[in-house]
Amino acid sequence: MHNNFLIALFVFLISLSQYSCVSNNKSKRIVVASSGKIESLDPARASTLKSLQLLSSLGDTLYELNSEGELIPELASGMPIFSKDKLQIIIKLKENVLFHDGTLFNSNAIKFSFDRFKRIGTMNYILGNKIKSIETPSEYKVIINLNKPSSSVNGLLTSINLTPISPTYYKDYSDKFLNDKFVGTGKYILKRFSNEIQIIDPNLNYWSDKPNNEGISFIGYSNSSSLFGALKSKQIDVLLSNSIDDIQINNLKLLSNNKEIKEGNSPATEISFISLRTNSYPLNNLNVRLAIAKSLNRDFISEKVSYGLRQPSRSLVPPIYKKSKKELWPKYDPLQAKVLLQKEGYCNGNVLDFPLTYRSNVPADKLIALSWQEQIKNILNECINIQLNGVESTTIYKNLNLGIYTAVILDWTGAYSDPEAYLTPLLSCSEIDGENCKKGESVYSGSFWGSNTVEDLFLDSENLNGKERLAKLVEIEKIASESIPYIPIWISSQKAWSQNEISKPIFNGAGIILMSDLKFINE
Amino acid sequence: MISNSLMSRDLNKLLNYSLLKISLIPLMLWIISTLVFILLRVAPGDPVDAILGSGANEASREILRYKLGLNESLLSQYLSYINNILHFNFGESLSTQEPVLDIILKSLPASVELGIFSIFFAILIGFPLGFFGLKNKGKKGDYIARIIGISSYAIPPFWGAILAQLIFSVYLRIFPIGGRFPITYSQPKITGFLVLDSLLNNNLISLRESLYHLALPSITLGFLLSGIFSRSLRINLDKTLKSDYVNAALCRGISTRKIILNHSLPNALLPIITISGLTIASLAGGALLFEVTFSWPGIALRLHEAISQRDYTVVQGIVIITSLLIVSLNLFVDILIAILDPRIEY
Repeated sequence: MHNNFLIALFVFLISLSQYSCVSNNKSKRIVVASSGKIESLDPARASTLKSLQLLSSLGDTLYELNSEGELIPELASGMPIFSKDKLQIIIKLKENVLFHDGTLFNSNAIKFSFDRFKRIGTMNYILGNKIKSIETPSEYKVIINLNKPSSSVNGLLTSINLTPISPTYYKDYSDKFLNDKFVGTGKYILKRFSNEIQIIDPNLNYWSDKPNNEGISFIGYSNSSSLFGALKSKQIDVLLSNSIDDIQINNLKLLSNNKEIKEGNSPATEISFISLRTNSYPLNNLNVRLAIAKSLNRDFISEKVSYGLRQPSRSLVPPIYKKSKKELWPKYDPLQAKVLLQKEGYCNGNVLDFPLTYRSNVPADKLIALSWQEQIKNILNECINIQLNGVESTTIYKNLNLGIYTAVILDWTGAYSDPEAYLTPLLSCSEIDGENCKKGESVYSGSFWGSNTVEDLFLDSENLNGKERLAKLVEIEKIASESIPYIPIWISSQKAWSQNEISKPIFNGAGIILMSDLKFINE
Repeated sequence: MISNSLMSRDLNKLLNYSLLKISLIPLMLWIISTLVFILLRVAPGDPVDAILGSGANEASREILRYKLGLNESLLSQYLSYINNILHFNFGESLSTQEPVLDIILKSLPASVELGIFSIFFAILIGFPLGFFGLKNKGKKGDYIARIIGISSYAIPPFWGAILAQLIFSVYLRIFPIGGRFPITYSQPKITGFLVLDSLLNNNLISLRESLYHLALPSITLGFLLSGIFSRSLRINLDKTLKSDYVNAALCRGISTRKIILNHSLPNALLPIITISGLTIASLAGGALLFEVTFSWPGIALRLHEAISQRDYTVVQGIVIITSLLIVSLNLFVDILIAILDPRIEY
């Protein structure tokens, strides 16, 4: 009896292993997994990396950025033309492009999509007060009227949030969100949508090259270990996530080095930094801020926390956008830090208490804080005492502008592909008193730092293009690096991994994986 | 036993007892809903920050706050909230604008289905283990059963879940890593209970797939809960077997098997019904860490997401509905025990 039971159990397990989920995936679709779920496919609402990733497969933008960070026309038929006063941008559109519902893409669709985003878009603040109106002088030509000259609008034109949608299909949704449907012009058509699972099929009427695969199934898992396990056990074809733990990223890198899987990396676009409250004691003292900046050993932290996978950075703007690897913030120099602190009366029995807040729900932040605290204990113990304080991210965001946190670890990815998308949210200020910002973006980033020179340079940069504009933006960054309202820590890239039977994931310049390039290699 | 006890009691008294218990439900729900409302507002952070992150300017924040109705006074928000609850309207999710009731109705069946199967496996594992321990009382078998029983409920559920996932999904590749249904098939949609829906649709493939996805989380959770059942059965059955009426039955020559099944077990099961009620009630609210680990799209996972997004309306809705379920189940258990146990006075 006892033996029979064991035999039955053994047979059951063997039969289950024969019927495993691996063997079940007979479809030619590529299964892509990432963390979390998608709440909405409405471009006016989508804000998570995952939803933007999916939208990028379903929709096109007027322009896109290639991996070199260059603007390439997509739905536009040529590069944008600025009027002499720089208050108008003229864009000619491609013809014979169809929406997924069969209607024709034209200038009205652009106007409808832009106006709708401006009206109801959750992230409509990225437009700021840049765009005044859209004109449609002909079916395939649009004129974007600007409130003031703005060369950063170019970057905005690559934003997937502004992807054209079919005015016919969205007729009843011009003032409200449509979360579970999407009708655009992209390479794929949405076949099925739920918060956890999304299935897309190739768009057979696509105006350009068709996808290399027969469709993609997206699945969301709610935790890092499931994602890791799913790729390792071959239950998924591609893992796309920037939110899995660094230890697992490191393990996946090792697997990739052993040629067991393939790894793709996007250009680094996410910066992590420490925001310093510059308007009150003790960080209202520039020498103290400078000493703290010099006490941060980025290489040590990167190695300890991310196994060296995140690139230490002394810049607030990703190199791909400023087209230079020039780093402006002070280097790690503990001796110089000590000298500066001594000059300000610290050390020799007077220890600077430095409260550092980190987001308790972001594991890497806590590890950064702990590593830095440990490093300071070893080298500047008699000068600085880092007091750690973990607070949940939403609470931090709410309280940043109240000046509650002396120093807080944050990260940022620009809403569009331009250096301005990094500098403005951190450095711009609309009301400045001395070096203190009373009102403006830097208040909401927790630094309360402002500079009239920086504001002038921002204005100047709007009238320039190309290298001249970049030079102005680098100048802004240089001023910031001398005043140290923030301390950059590292810069991260998106990563994706695929099974060996699938082609290597490739990203574009905006950090979006090109799903249509994925294919089964033996095909 | 049921008919005898009912016959000997006043049915009206039972009815009064039940009505008294039922009348307390609205009061309890009002207290719970008010507490949830206050606690969510007292907690730092708000949905605007969760939706917009740190990059949005004050103007966009204010506009969104206005759109979400968060600019109104707390009292006005509370009155409108209570008024809506009275009309069984839980409002819309602040982050998705989806009706909260729809969110609950979509996710609750997943949790209940997982709960039912887990209880089934808990009983399937726990009862034989309890009997086995008692049968081998004081022997090696008893100790083994005790160790399994105690360790099953001593293991932290999240750890048990991760371990099971690692062994059976990642290394042995027997079960799927997570989710409720394969991506490649369309889910049957009638009641939201996939196993039931597959049966109603007469779709064997769908039935196989839903059972296949349900197997690992429910067996693991069932195993972790089995200890409670095995231990309580072992203890209560042992106690009843020492009773005078069992000795009397033995003296009358009734077989041990008959004594256990007809006399001892029904009495030993009374406390187990209470325990089961509490366990089912707690599972009705979702096994939070289980759902997160297995990416199980149940109500606990939704609650977890809603809390992190400060989605007040969803949190309020889920807490009220699960409270209602728990209170109702407790009421059911109370009445059932009152009917079954002649010692209970009402």
